[in-house]
Amino acid sequence: MDTTIESYMLLSSVIFVIGAIGFLVRRNVLVQLMSIELMLNSVNLLLVSFNRLHTGNMVGQAFAFFIIAVAAAEVAVGLAIVLQLYRLRGAVNSDDATTLRH
Amino acid sequence: MELLTQLFPASHFSLLGLILILPLLAAFVNGVFGKRLGREAVTLMGLSAIFAAFVGAVITYLMLLGHGEHGELVRFHFNAWRWLQLEGVGDALAFRAVPLDVAFSVDALSGTMALVITGVGFLIHLYSSSYMAEDPGYYRFFAYLNLFIFSMLVLVLGNSLPILFVGWEGVGLCSYLLIGFWFSEDQNASAGKKAFITNRVGDFGLLVAMGLLVYYVGALDWHGIEVGRNNLLQPVKVWPVADSVPIAQLLPESLAEAISKPRYASAATLVCLALFLGAMGKSAQFGLHVWLPDAMAGPTPVSALIHAATMVTAGVYLLCRLSAVFVMSPMAMAVVAGIGAFTALFAATIALVQNDIKKVLAYSTLSQLGYMFLGAGVGAFEAGFFHVLTHAFFKACLFLGAGSVIHAMHARIHDTNDSQDMRNMGGLLKFMPATAITFAAAWAAIAGVPLTSGFFSKDEILLMALKSKVTGPATISGGQHRVVLENFVWPEWYSGLLYAMGLLTAILTAFYMSRLVIGIFLGEFRGWKIVPNWVDPHAQPASGAHDDHGHDAHAAAHDEHDDHAHHHHEKPGVEHMEGPTPHESPWQMTLPLWILGGLSLFAGLLNAHLIHIAPLGHFLEPVFAEASKSVEAPEESVESFKWIGAAIAVFIAAAPGIGLAWYTYVVKAGRPAAEAAAKFPRLHAFLSDKWRVDEFYKATILDIVDSLADMCVWFDKWIVDGILARASAFVIQAAGAILRQFQTGRVQAYSAVLMFGLLGVGTYLVLPHANVREHFDHASGVYKLSAAPGLGYKYRWDVDGQEGWDGGDKFGNRTEATFQLKVDEERVIRLEVEGPLLITSRYEKILVRPRPDASSAAVTPQKPEEKSAAVQLPPGHPPTRAGSAPDAKGTL
Amino acid sequence: MTPGLLLFSVCSLLCVGGALFTVLSANPIRSALGLLTTIFGIAGLFLRLNAEFLAAMQVLVYAGAVVILFVFVIMLLGPTAKLIPARGTRSFLARAVGGGLGAIAGVFVISLLVSTKEHAFPIVGKEHGTVEAVGRQIFEHGLVPFELVTALLIVAVVGAVAVARTAHKKSEKPKIQNPTVRLFHGPLLARDAGRPLDGRTLQERYESEKNA
Repeated sequence: MDTTIESYMLLSSVIFVIGAIGFLVRRNVLVQLMSIELMLNSVNLLLVSFNRLHTGNMVGQAFAFFIIAVAAAEVAVGLAIVLQLYRLRGAVNSDDATTLRH
Repeated sequence: MELLTQLFPASHFSLLGLILILPLLAAFVNGVFGKRLGREAVTLMGLSAIFAAFVGAVITYLMLLGHGEHGELVRFHFNAWRWLQLEGVGDALAFRAVPLDVAFSVDALSGTMALVITGVGFLIHLYSSSYMAEDPGYYRFFAYLNLFIFSMLVLVLGNSLPILFVGWEGVGLCSYLLIGFWFSEDQNASAGKKAFITNRVGDFGLLVAMGLLVYYVGALDWHGIEVGRNNLLQPVKVWPVADSVPIAQLLPESLAEAISKPRYASAATLVCLALFLGAMGKSAQFGLHVWLPDAMAGPTPVSALIHAATMVTAGVYLLCRLSAVFVMSPMAMAVVAGIGAFTALFAATIALVQNDIKKVLAYSTLSQLGYMFLGAGVGAFEAGFFHVLTHAFFKACLFLGAGSVIHAMHARIHDTNDSQDMRNMGGLLKFMPATAITFAAAWAAIAGVPLTSGFFSKDEILLMALKSKVTGPATISGGQHRVVLENFVWPEWYSGLLYAMGLLTAILTAFYMSRLVIGIFLGEFRGWKIVPNWVDPHAQPASGAHDDHGHDAHAAAHDEHDDHAHHHHEKPGVEHMEGPTPHESPWQMTLPLWILGGLSLFAGLLNAHLIHIAPLGHFLEPVFAEASKSVEAPEESVESFKWIGAAIAVFIAAAPGIGLAWYTYVVKAGRPAAEAAAKFPRLHAFLSDKWRVDEFYKATILDIVDSLADMCVWFDKWIVDGILARASAFVIQAAGAILRQFQTGRVQAYSAVLMFGLLGVGTYLVLPHANVREHFDHASGVYKLSAAPGLGYKYRWDVDGQEGWDGGDKFGNRTEATFQLKVDEERVIRLEVEGPLLITSRYEKILVRPRPDASSAAVTPQKPEEKSAAVQLPPGHPPTRAGSAPDAKGTL
Repeated sequence: MTPGLLLFSVCSLLCVGGALFTVLSANPIRSALGLLTTIFGIAGLFLRLNAEFLAAMQVLVYAGAVVILFVFVIMLLGPTAKLIPARGTRSFLARAVGGGLGAIAGVFVISLLVSTKEHAFPIVGKEHGTVEAVGRQIFEHGLVPFELVTALLIVAVVGAVAVARTAHKKSEKPKIQNPTVRLFHGPLLARDAGRPLDGRTLQERYESEKNA
């Protein structure tokens, strides 16, 4: 079971779906950001497990590496925005951040 | 000379490039760096460039003289570069390709012009260096002036109409810039605009003429036009413009017939009238003359250089340059001569009543330009051109003298209108003798005092107006119209009329010029009281300190004569002088006056046919050789008539005019003029209002344009803004109001939509789609079927015509199937595709092999098969089509 | 039960449990701890997949930086980090739709996976997933993206600083009351007519709306 790609795909799908649902249903921006991290991590897992299928090829892991870097950048900017949102609204509720509607 | 000839061969006469580039360089340097260079450097730059150009022009002229000993046309060419090439389209055009070169050429005509432009130009530059010394825009003035010299040289030296046109527009631009030189005053700026816009009308004519020449002659350079000019002798339908007159059906029969009758004119007439329209604009002939008097708003040296000596004679130059074309149309020449004569007379009558000395000179310029056109119009191009030359000398001298007077008057008053008003002058002879003497020399020339330059040139024009007429072939035919057109013949009385008008103009000219000289230089100085706070020690308080030189012409006229009378009795002595006195101008201003005054007196000897000294005439003869063939001037009678004509011109024109002016303004101190004005107030007002041409244009053209503009404003306000803008804005707003409901601004809502999309794409990718592409070989009846590929697809086929799947029920990787059919044989083929979710999709079709003959009739045999293949099952959602579509089951 | 299977099972449980904890807990600090658990679980899975380098990276970057950053922010915000004022029905609808959708997608994807055959991993050499192997891949074939990632990180840092910095007091804008200026530079809709010109900050307007 631990040596087939399918089990890893299943696992990463589960994590991805949990992350997606979390992003959709939670209204705390912080938790939403964490959900995004979950989704990114699930994708990383998928990439690395597919990479395991191919001997002598590291492209998948290199991709995962880049995704980690991008995720770090995203979290930095995202948290800065959360701080600013808090300053502006006094809360970190994503339902409040609807100024773009206008 | 030998060296020069070797250095500048006739076919590549690069000296012209040097002459042209120097003023341009000076203009560039003065314009861009002039502010930082300072006054001295600007003066040096401007003057030296023009002087160098003058030296170049002199050398060119000497070389022309050296070559022209044998009486044939000498022309030096300088081709700078190929500009562009006009390509002909269609069969109707006379040309296939007309090259436009940036090419310059010089012959006797343009050489003389270049000499005048650079020579007089240099003198006026010298004059300006003192006249404009105090002006903050000094460098700007010199940049414009240099640019003008460059443009004028391009105009004169250009070897083709387009190059001439470049110069033509260039001088127009410089004229505009210099008229509006003191642009901070509205009046000056609008005078500049007026000049520019009026000239556009003429430029339109010039452009049309160029188009017509390309169309009919197929050339635009002087030589090409001269060679191909006979193509112009063809009738051209000018009316109706299209095949018929649109409104003709609505009119009564006879009227309709009259207006839809085709009218023809010779191509030469059209070209010449179009060219003349251009010349009218630039040379301010009646109709388009309105800009020239207003152009006096510019600095006086500008008036002298551009609006008297050089630019305004460009029209005459154009006529002379294309004389060979003009003489082909007697009708156009009659128009030229008529307009010229009328302008001469018209402007002279206006000049009679003007008080502003520059205005008098401006109308005098108009009048003299009319003279030139009269001369050219009757075919006496040489006489007309000679008048250009002499006019350049004496009118430049007059304007510069006037500038000197104004300069002196500015010592008393700094008001543009008052300092130019001759009612404030008088007696300046004793303050500024040099100006007065040179002014008098130029006055003698323009009035036609015997043996001065103006005498010879005017006399020649008058003589030729009476004796010379333009003739052409009796009939014109050819071209694409099968008509024979009778050529226009000058009526018998026409020459007499032209002569009478010319003679009357000469008398009036002598009169008003004498009035001007008397008003400025003779009598007592009347300018004392224009100094502020001046109190007349003799007069009662009521008449003192009067500053009301009303703009009402009628009142002004009385005013003037009151002044005359008043001061004559009073005889104000030295004891009344307060404040600064008028003074003679510095040498930079008087030197040009002396030179030009001398030329005004003696330049007539260059072309004095009367006394058989005409070196210029002989020099110019080859230029007009072609044209003179069409001009009818009875040589045998000229000799006997010459002295009579001359005698008439002298005694009837100059002497009575001068004498009458002397009598009126000196002997009788202006009382007869006042009486005349009082007796015919309407006529006087009419003349003072310049025949009310401006008012007429205001009432017609300007008001029409204004009302058009009003209509456009209404359209913009109600149709464009009201309906188009507001209606479309309303639609957009409504659409926005609907769409805004979907824009919640909530990230979750957006990401939910994202998920929907992801789901849709995923579903499409996961569900299998059975598609088959058929390839059919007609000869053998072999069908080759290939299934569309897809992610994780597996296939099973049934193509062998037997029950059950080929090779068992298992799905495999076989994507192609091949089988053969006999003619008319039917077969059911099936394909089932299993997707990654074990959902299957089925494709089923009945194939019939068509008969060969039926298929050979079809143009594209593939087509029917492909069409039937399109009737496949729709992809996706197989369960919903389970009833009609073949079996498809989903397994989760 | 091989050690590999044991590792896989434990790590899978950690991952799924941590993920659920992240999404379900009301307190953000617990969510962060759930995230941390998931990250460690995934790092373990990386080890099982012969990706030692990435496992180390995972722990370093995610556990060491990202989660710490989250925790910092949560502590900075204090109790407001979990304060969610009750709102109207629209957000409930959105949540219902979103959750439903997510569930459908999850079922769909998982069923897709279950239905397919199993593919066993091949045997790979020891060098698979080492620092050297991944480094070779990155520096031999992905140097330019790698350098771009550095640029991205710098931009992200600068951007984060710029965004998170306390805004300076804005200079008072002159109130534009000229009707022409309003016509051409003001808002397009009458509804918005008073909006940008009233000179209030968004914070002030938000508070006034909240009070109203």
